[in-house]
Amino acid sequence: MSQTIDLSALLAHPANGGLRPVAAADPATVWHDVVVASGESGLPADGAGGADADLAILTTEPPSAPWQQDALIRRIRDRGYLALAMPNADLFGVGSRVLAERVGLALLHVDDPMALAKACWLLLEGRDALTLGYVRRVAQSIEYHAVGLADLLRHLSASVGHGIALIDAEGVLLQSGGTLPAAVHAAIDFGPWLDTVTVDDGSAASVHVDSPSRAGLRLAFFGTGLNAVQLTALAVAAEVAMPAVAARILIDEVADVNDAAVAADLLRDFLEQRDTRDAEREQRMLDRGWRTAGYHLGFRIVGRTRVDTFQLLRFVTRELAAVPADSHVVTSGRGVTGWLSFAAPPAPSQVDGAVSALRSLHTAARRSFNVATGVGSVESGSAGLATTIDGAADAARIAVSRSATGWFVRIDALGLEQLLLSWTENDTFVPAAQSLLGPLISRAPELLETLTSYLDHESGIAATADALHLHRNTVSTRIARAQDLLGLDLSDPETRLAVHLACRAVRQSAGSSTSSTSANPRGATP
Amino acid sequence: MARTLEHGDLPSLARGFSLLGSGGGGTTTMLELMLADADWPLTVHPVAGLDPATPCIAAAFAGSTYLLTERIPGSDPFDELIAAAERWTGVRAGAVCPLEGAGLNGLTPLTLAGRLALVDADFMGRALPRLDQLSLFIDRVPGTVTVCGSGAGGVVLIETDRAADVESLVRGAIVQAGGAAGVVVAGFTVGDLIEHAVHDGYERALELGTAFDAAAAAPLSELAGRLGGRMLGTGRVAAVEAAPSDAYSSAVEVTADDGALLRLVARSEVLAVLRDGSLEASSPEIIVTIDSISRDILQVDGLSIARHVALIALPAPAWWTERPERLRQVTPSAFGIGGLDAA
Repeated sequence: MSQTIDLSALLAHPANGGLRPVAAADPATVWHDVVVASGESGLPADGAGGADADLAILTTEPPSAPWQQDALIRRIRDRGYLALAMPNADLFGVGSRVLAERVGLALLHVDDPMALAKACWLLLEGRDALTLGYVRRVAQSIEYHAVGLADLLRHLSASVGHGIALIDAEGVLLQSGGTLPAAVHAAIDFGPWLDTVTVDDGSAASVHVDSPSRAGLRLAFFGTGLNAVQLTALAVAAEVAMPAVAARILIDEVADVNDAAVAADLLRDFLEQRDTRDAEREQRMLDRGWRTAGYHLGFRIVGRTRVDTFQLLRFVTRELAAVPADSHVVTSGRGVTGWLSFAAPPAPSQVDGAVSALRSLHTAARRSFNVATGVGSVESGSAGLATTIDGAADAARIAVSRSATGWFVRIDALGLEQLLLSWTENDTFVPAAQSLLGPLISRAPELLETLTSYLDHESGIAATADALHLHRNTVSTRIARAQDLLGLDLSDPETRLAVHLACRAVRQSAGSSTSSTSANPRGATP
Repeated sequence: MARTLEHGDLPSLARGFSLLGSGGGGTTTMLELMLADADWPLTVHPVAGLDPATPCIAAAFAGSTYLLTERIPGSDPFDELIAAAERWTGVRAGAVCPLEGAGLNGLTPLTLAGRLALVDADFMGRALPRLDQLSLFIDRVPGTVTVCGSGAGGVVLIETDRAADVESLVRGAIVQAGGAAGVVVAGFTVGDLIEHAVHDGYERALELGTAFDAAAAAPLSELAGRLGGRMLGTGRVAAVEAAPSDAYSSAVEVTADDGALLRLVARSEVLAVLRDGSLEASSPEIIVTIDSISRDILQVDGLSIARHVALIALPAPAWWTERPERLRQVTPSAFGIGGLDAA
């Protein structure tokens, strides 16, 4: 017989009847034929093929007495067999295993000898049957409902019996039933439609995945010890499984986008109606695992320029898996909003750890997205969740123009002034401020600086004059003119506060629109 | 020709019987000490040298030979047994022979040699564990009685044609006696020994013992040849395991110096030796285990892990191999161990 079978291929075969080496088994051993018998006396002498390279499969257990085991090993080896597979081969004692090693008889345990015999036949002669078997099992796994792509891969790997991985040139995207060794991944050729590789670490049969949304994907079945016959059969199985995987990628993408939109709506609802209790909304939040009880640390990642929020969401979700806290994240506006939840009040060190994890997340995100990140303070309960998210949103607003902090701002680290500014800098206040100070800006813009400085110095003429290097009379004249132009009475505290804030907001917005060209903090489309 | 045994012959004789013990039969030290006060020199008669009509008895210690090294027998352990046998048979014994021509029992009849003629024949020619394996019983010699001590001066006498009954009843009596007791078989004559016993045990033991002592300085490889046996191998004891099916059987794994795996199968004697899974020697061949360094002749329980041993096979007594029905009683399968009978 010209065909051969090797131990590693048999061990890699999914339906090998629970084959396991016990002693003297070298995976590289090659056998020419396989003989099945109920007992040792049923084995033909000199092996079936005459060649001194056969595997004997017995359906009975080894004898119990050590000398009987010795004698069995000796007789089977004397009959010309190189390996013996039988149920409960673990019963062979230490001495008998030494003897097996000495005479060169591999001892293998097998739970189901007939399954092993069938596996041997498939690998030796029934190659089409092997392929067909794999294809049929692929078809069976498609038949069952899969929750997502990962689930589909799990089904495929479980029913085919080998590991499966969805890969691109960078690495493994998803895998099931094992870990694709890096060396195997590196050896895979992404060019051809079908590719089979074998390196020391393992083997893989891969096929190009024809997906409209993701280019350069391959679907690979992998394992260790697979021989050429098995790889060829698995390549066919991969071809058959590929369309299902490609379709699933598309379906999952649609479902994910839809889900993200639903989650975004829900969070918006929650933040807008924070004071009203809505049982239905609370139920929907619970369904998503959003518990409002406990302690929360909000964060918001916004694009400094246009970013694909959905891709950002995916990235953040993936990275958050490594953060040791219950985390949730949804798309919201130009970025994503999320929070970490703790059941018990987190220790300061724990909070610092979470913040530094978020900072690493931010740093990682900045490699692919132009984003700024704000982090809120730790708050508790349902109201606290809304508060910390609001805080995070404020911090993010500030972070957008804070290159000095690496576009990362934590609200706890903000000054009161920054907080105030973050409030006054919003879309409604700035136009109001501009219209309040309109007469001043249009007719005597130089008075704005004097007025601001005057208000900053507690309406003190002398202090303002010193600060601006002007004469006191000049200052009094300018203030009087400004009051006239504005038509406001600055001795009224309410008025003074409004004018003071307006001056700050107008100057800040003027400063940021001239100093920053790439970022527009008020969300105007660039 | 009758042989005269001098006291000086005793160590060689003891060594010879130890060799014939095949790892069983018990250590001879106690008997050697008991015989220090015997009426030396002693005469050993060949079977042909005595009147065939002479009533004869066979004597031995049975039970745990190990126990005999701790619980020392009385000064005349067989007197009451012989008296009972003589009362039952109605004849006075004129001769004595060993029941088991190996181990300490090879020397046991010497304690009676002062008053009975010592015959050079025994019922085993080696060590065997069971009383139904006596040559006399296997050949179904009629009229025999077996007497056994049952402790506290008690005596049990069994007259039956079923050898298996002798074995089980005597075992019961021995347990009652505390684990070891004297056994006497009577009701036969010196003439019965001609056909139904193994001859010249004393001659063989003396020859073996003398050759063994003479080879004390010779290399191990020569020892087997000098004893008229064959070397099965030397090596280190790697494991001693009880057989899963039989608590009294053990398998001793010896890693041979040449790399082979030697496996000894033993009950109270060594019954077989396999080399790399193929049978090298088996009962009734006598398998001797010797400590390679001290040259001590080992009992089965002396085969302990890490001991370096030499294994030698001595030819089986011809009586056992003469007829298939005799052989059947002493091959390993007679001990309940299948697959080890020599083809």
